[in-house]
Amino acid sequence: MIIVSPYSKKLMNGRENPKNYPYWSVLLMEIKEKVIQIGVSGEKQIWPDFRPDLPLDELKELLMQCRTWISCDSFFQHLGYIEKKPGIVLWSVSDPLIFGHPENVNLIKSRDYLVKDQFLWWEDQEYKHDAFVDPDEVVKALELF
Amino acid sequence: MDKVLCSIGTRGRYDTTLPLALAAIINQTKRPDKVVIFDDNENPRDVRNELIYKNLFQMMDIKGIEWEWRFAAKKGTHHNHQAANTMGYKWVWRMDDDAIPEANVLHELFSWTLHDPNLGAVGGSILTPPLQFEESFPTATMANIDAEPNIQWKYIHKRKKVEHLHCSFLYRAGIVDYHLGLSKVAHREETLFSNALHQKGYDLYVVPNAVTWHLKNPSGGIRSETDQSMYAHDEQIFQNFQKFKNNTIVVLNCGMGDHLVFSEILPYIKNPIVFSCYPDIVPGESIAAAKAFFGDIDQWNIYLKMAQWKWTGSLNEAFRKMYL
Repeated sequence: MIIVSPYSKKLMNGRENPKNYPYWSVLLMEIKEKVIQIGVSGEKQIWPDFRPDLPLDELKELLMQCRTWISCDSFFQHLGYIEKKPGIVLWSVSDPLIFGHPENVNLIKSRDYLVKDQFLWWEDQEYKHDAFVDPDEVVKALELF
Repeated sequence: MDKVLCSIGTRGRYDTTLPLALAAIINQTKRPDKVVIFDDNENPRDVRNELIYKNLFQMMDIKGIEWEWRFAAKKGTHHNHQAANTMGYKWVWRMDDDAIPEANVLHELFSWTLHDPNLGAVGGSILTPPLQFEESFPTATMANIDAEPNIQWKYIHKRKKVEHLHCSFLYRAGIVDYHLGLSKVAHREETLFSNALHQKGYDLYVVPNAVTWHLKNPSGGIRSETDQSMYAHDEQIFQNFQKFKNNTIVVLNCGMGDHLVFSEILPYIKNPIVFSCYPDIVPGESIAAAKAFFGDIDQWNIYLKMAQWKWTGSLNEAFRKMYL
């Protein structure tokens, strides 16, 4: 079973978080294992098995049961790291050398897309579809996992 | 040689003691690399082209002392000192606009920085005529702060380790923050700041042969507000810090993932007292409680710190730098 955590925290100005991966629907079609989407209420459901608002203990339990997980740069990549359950992180504008963990597989298309100031509000950043790796690369990483 | 910034805040003293203080800074036997003047006057006046000031600034140019006049935000001297603290200098010599250092003061204070990697701050005597405290023997500990005169108010004859400093001293910049939760009067600001260096594990000293004359001009000054409620507010914050003096104060006003990363270093923190947004991840009191205790909690904002530090390491390492 694979857990997917598709969304980063909602922005206060209502814009799309520039850390949200744009190609989930294509990617999920390529995964031939059971998938569970986790997140919070109000996020878009992209998979039939969506389990929003799980308490931390249940999230950890689920994490222990999965083969691995795929996430954008959100709290879930930190949870995987802390629980010693590595997974795949899909990066765009935030810097995996600062906010990531080398124990995970950190997929970044190019460091050219990283925003200059990593510590300001994400609300101020433009959303860039082309800042993310293609779904094919994610599938390859998943096969190698 | 490490660079030294001289920082001076001014209010209501354009035409009295500020020119004296600047002249004394210019005539130091060791010159600061830069002087920054924070103009906190209610009705600021651009004095840079007035005769006395023009001459003083030309003297600085001639002597190779960079200078900057900043019209400040009138939020209190602690905000100005914090700006100086983060200007990228290794050492900051903080001055008052009614304090007149003798010519050797910076040389003497700086000489103590050369061979002591653990030095956090060093100050000399801060004397106001007539001298009243020469027969006193202050301990300069926080425990006795309300029971004794400040050790810097008398001639210092021997180097002594202390727990707090007063008025004017040379400090290692960018290590701890001025406490911006204090009101405009910034009551106890230098005590809180210097003691924070001590709490961080750096040594503070008072040293002989470094005399600054504090003219205590009753008009003007950075603490010229008379609203007693401001003093009471600041005193309460000071007392709250004292309450936690044996703790490492941890304030996690950040995201869930940040709490997870932080949880890894929590076991290594000495006697932590934690304020947390996500007590299910890192148990602790609420952020509202932290704000009530300390007024302002930005000094624990890990993102602000990483921005100030121009951080390129990991988040985990940033938390380590902040708390260990």
